[in-house]
Amino acid sequence: MKHVNISPPSTVQTPAVMLRSTVINPRQPVGLQELAALAAVAHSSLGPDKRYKFIQDDTSGESALVCSCFRIFENLELSSAVAQLVHETVQAQQKVYNTGSGCLLFLAGAWSRAALECVHRGISVSRIISGMSDGFDICVDVLRKCSISTDGLGAVKPYSCTTTSHGLGLQVSKEPITEDSRASLHLRGTTSVGHKTLNPSGHRKIKLSRHFCQPDSKNVSTAPQPHQVFNVAHIAEGLSHGCVRAMNLVVEAVKLHQDVSCSTFDVTKVVTCVVPGLPEERACVLPGCIVLLSDEQASVAHHLKDQPLKVALINGDLSHTFRHLGFSRPAGVQHVSEQLALGSDEEEVWTVKVVALLLNLEVNLILVSGLASEKVIQHCCRRRVLVVDKVKASILKAFADATAGVPVTYATQLTKHCVGTGVKVEIRRDLGGGSERKSSTAVNISTGGNSGLFTVILTSCVRGKLQALEDQFWACAYRLHHALKDRAVLPGAGATEMLCVHHLRQRAVTAYSTQESSAGGAADLDRGVVLHLMADGLIDYISTVMVNTGRVSKVRARTVVSQQLQEHDGHVDIAAKLSQLMLEGENEDSDSKSSEMDVYDNVSVKQEAWRKALDLLFLVLQTDAEVITGVDQATGAQENLMML
Amino acid sequence: MSRLVKKSPSLCVDLPLDNTDVCNKLRLLRQLMTSCYGPTGKLKLVHNNIGGHVVTTSTSSVLLAAISSSQPLVNLIKTSVLNHVSRFSDCGLFAACLCLDLIEQAKQSGLRGNVCIGLNRHFLAVCVSYLQREDCCCKVKLDFCSSHNLIALARSVISSKPACLLTEQETLHISKLAVQAFLLTLPCDKPGTVSLGQTVTICVEGHSVLNSAVFPGLLVDVTGVLCVNKSDNLSSHRMLLFSASLAGDIPELGEGIIEVSSGVDTDARILDQLLDLGKQAVEDDVKLFVCQKVIHPVLQHYLRSRGVIVIERLGITLMEPLILLTGAHPVATLHTSLQPKAYGKVRDLSIRQFGSKTLLHLLPHGESAICTMILCHRNETMLSELKLVCQKTEHVLRLTLREPYALFGGGCTETHLAAYVRHKCTDGVTESAAVLGCSESEYLLGMDRFCSSLESVAKSLEHNGGNSLIDLTHAHNWTVHADVMNRCVEG
Repeated sequence: MKHVNISPPSTVQTPAVMLRSTVINPRQPVGLQELAALAAVAHSSLGPDKRYKFIQDDTSGESALVCSCFRIFENLELSSAVAQLVHETVQAQQKVYNTGSGCLLFLAGAWSRAALECVHRGISVSRIISGMSDGFDICVDVLRKCSISTDGLGAVKPYSCTTTSHGLGLQVSKEPITEDSRASLHLRGTTSVGHKTLNPSGHRKIKLSRHFCQPDSKNVSTAPQPHQVFNVAHIAEGLSHGCVRAMNLVVEAVKLHQDVSCSTFDVTKVVTCVVPGLPEERACVLPGCIVLLSDEQASVAHHLKDQPLKVALINGDLSHTFRHLGFSRPAGVQHVSEQLALGSDEEEVWTVKVVALLLNLEVNLILVSGLASEKVIQHCCRRRVLVVDKVKASILKAFADATAGVPVTYATQLTKHCVGTGVKVEIRRDLGGGSERKSSTAVNISTGGNSGLFTVILTSCVRGKLQALEDQFWACAYRLHHALKDRAVLPGAGATEMLCVHHLRQRAVTAYSTQESSAGGAADLDRGVVLHLMADGLIDYISTVMVNTGRVSKVRARTVVSQQLQEHDGHVDIAAKLSQLMLEGENEDSDSKSSEMDVYDNVSVKQEAWRKALDLLFLVLQTDAEVITGVDQATGAQENLMML
Repeated sequence: MSRLVKKSPSLCVDLPLDNTDVCNKLRLLRQLMTSCYGPTGKLKLVHNNIGGHVVTTSTSSVLLAAISSSQPLVNLIKTSVLNHVSRFSDCGLFAACLCLDLIEQAKQSGLRGNVCIGLNRHFLAVCVSYLQREDCCCKVKLDFCSSHNLIALARSVISSKPACLLTEQETLHISKLAVQAFLLTLPCDKPGTVSLGQTVTICVEGHSVLNSAVFPGLLVDVTGVLCVNKSDNLSSHRMLLFSASLAGDIPELGEGIIEVSSGVDTDARILDQLLDLGKQAVEDDVKLFVCQKVIHPVLQHYLRSRGVIVIERLGITLMEPLILLTGAHPVATLHTSLQPKAYGKVRDLSIRQFGSKTLLHLLPHGESAICTMILCHRNETMLSELKLVCQKTEHVLRLTLREPYALFGGGCTETHLAAYVRHKCTDGVTESAAVLGCSESEYLLGMDRFCSSLESVAKSLEHNGGNSLIDLTHAHNWTVHADVMNRCVEG
């Protein structure tokens, strides 16, 4: 069994009753308690100051160093149904967004505590669900209203970051600009030609919009051409969420990427290359695709460097035994021969044939998405053909696009027009790992600067940390990717949540008052309670993030949050003032420069994480029994399960 | 074959219902079923003991299929309910609840087994004959002139499964789509025997339910293999459909052994044959080349380079709709030349994007009753339940063609029937009892038990500890809002 060293609170109760293949819980919300307990695992991975966790396997003694909620669940052995459900939800979030799973899990826990409280107060399940759905709609409305257009952001902040005053940065969440951003979005929608790239002329169009000029036209008019790059850097800074180094790499990558096209950040053209043994400061971004090669292959690369190469792209393995997916090898085939076989090796024959074909087509480089057999690599090395295997499918596609090559499944399929041209190979001596048993050489494969491919080199002296560094990089990359895709961000550092809390409470109060005026009755009272408890869940989220910074205690965090909520009750710019609160809390003793940083969150990621959290909660809330299949009599009796 | 374990002597047990263990298991099964029943029913998490995939459901077909018991009695009930569901799609939970409740009531009543059977059969006959009467008060005739009734019927089926987690608006949307799909599968003015078309369901995860849609024709998933030239706008495209695998392997050897002399490359020989087929298809101007199974990449490459759209791994489920849509004859072998009559036709091809899925939309050349329903939902669990519910709705709607009546839902039909039986059977107790060969008191006791079984099924619609109110004059059940329509197919 594996366990996290910080174990969840012991409120987990295993279901009590069961049938041969069926368990029935007594009608208690055990599932909700379990969900809340599982969510506690995510507490320390919230916010900018994340804690590492060791996950240790007691039986094998292996351990893993993890930093994100997604990796925690990946490394745990989950046996309960609710845990499995949580894991599936977190995986779904991770698959699409690559970020936000911590937030998802925390809120699933916080809101399941809210639901538990509702159940204890005797509110029916259907009312809890409809109340929470209403609450979610309110939150979505808030998210929509307080989202800031990314274009607007570039305009608000001039590119000399240091001169920006506190107040200016906070203006962003005010009402008029939100409208502006929508207006500009609308504008872009209508001029379908100009919206592809945010060139200066596109900006001028927006600037001339009568809405857009009002609040901060002076900044817009001074926005120079390279501001797009800066704009991204500013947004990226706000989205770094504590992973500054990783985000810097992303920004560097975007800058390289911008030369090609700019309005989006295409994550599919990014490769990460992990080099253990170098200090973390050596991490960098380089155009092209960088791979680590063995010495033998490196010598081939040395011969090929600085000359235009012809490339073959293989979609599958490069070996004589490989057959495409779905090909079934017949079992009953016997080979008979009339004369004594002279030991002609099938693999040898195939390899010679393939190498001859490659030489005939003048191919110097083969990129293989699967594995290449050792024999082929050796043969190719002798003939000075470089074989690179385990290339990501998206990279193979990028090479196909850039070199006009056509990926094929079998090497024997190759013809003249399948072969791509114009690839260059370059050896990077500075990046050679070689710290351990196998020495390796970094080789950069590029297509002359027009493919848009680039490699992020991640380095660390601590091998176990590399995975976490890679995860952090991808989380940052996807956060920026989604921000540019949404064309909007949310005010971060808890400001959005605060605004949601404010609106939820307001609505709760309205619900109470309609109940008193006897128009609604008990339903409205219940709705008020549900909304209020939902808001408490969000407060819990904000205060946990504050606690994780290590500067305030839980109690103080909560007091500060509720004080601020009371003080600013009814003010429009509550979000602006509150975001400041977080920063103050975080930066009491740090230098003044970092306190000027605006923090942003992703719109779609946050909304989707919240929705997934609620969906998960609703499923668990409506569940009253577990059916376990394949339980044998003995264990069933042992675990006090009811057998059918 | 010799036995590894010595055969143990057979054990005969009589009167299984007197066994407390059996009774406990039946009670447990009843709890399991009744707790799932209705729109506010509780969900069950179904998973295996080693932590596999979790299914969240309250659907009898999924739940019962997962259950296996050591008790033959439990298995008997389970399989008969599953048979009912496979035939009618609907009312599996109702059947299970009523059956288990009747067993329990019969046991409690202390009536002799054969008397009990006779009485229940009698009261069931009373109910069925009443339901078939024209003046039956708990059924409504479905009016096919307006879609209102059909949508209400679809809606009551869809809203009965809470694991779909649909809002009011979403429920209505899906109900409308279900009716739309149903109407699209009805062939228009065709003489002779009418055969209904098919609805193909495609699930798209991670999108709002409101993005779900219904299209006439067939949509095929072509994610990742996109290659359509919009250049040629032919009014009809010739297509070719293979049911045989074109993977290039040696198919179904069976027990036999093939001897291959060395130096003969079987793979290359078969590939040559495949390419010959491809050449003929290209010569015959085939624009769409579809295979149920795998197509050899070399053949795919060849066809694509000549502008043919290639779809492989279509799957067995899409074969029949595609045959109906295009009129193609699937080719089951690669050893003959292609016959002209094997080719099918498609009127139009277009690409539709649903989330991460790229779909190729095929429109029929002539009249066809094939449609495709794209179901979207936010996560896999809710999506799989939604798919089940939609298939069930389709079936229920189809059954209305045979018998255009719907019964009142929300427990009203059951309470009404109970009231009817009580009222009807109190007259002439003596004669009926004599006919059935039991005493009057036994007759009355049996009637009471039968009726309370019906009522208790109606009552089990309420799961949150609320009260069930039964209007004694109109025999109306008030727990659920009135006029929820539901169709019960009583077997």
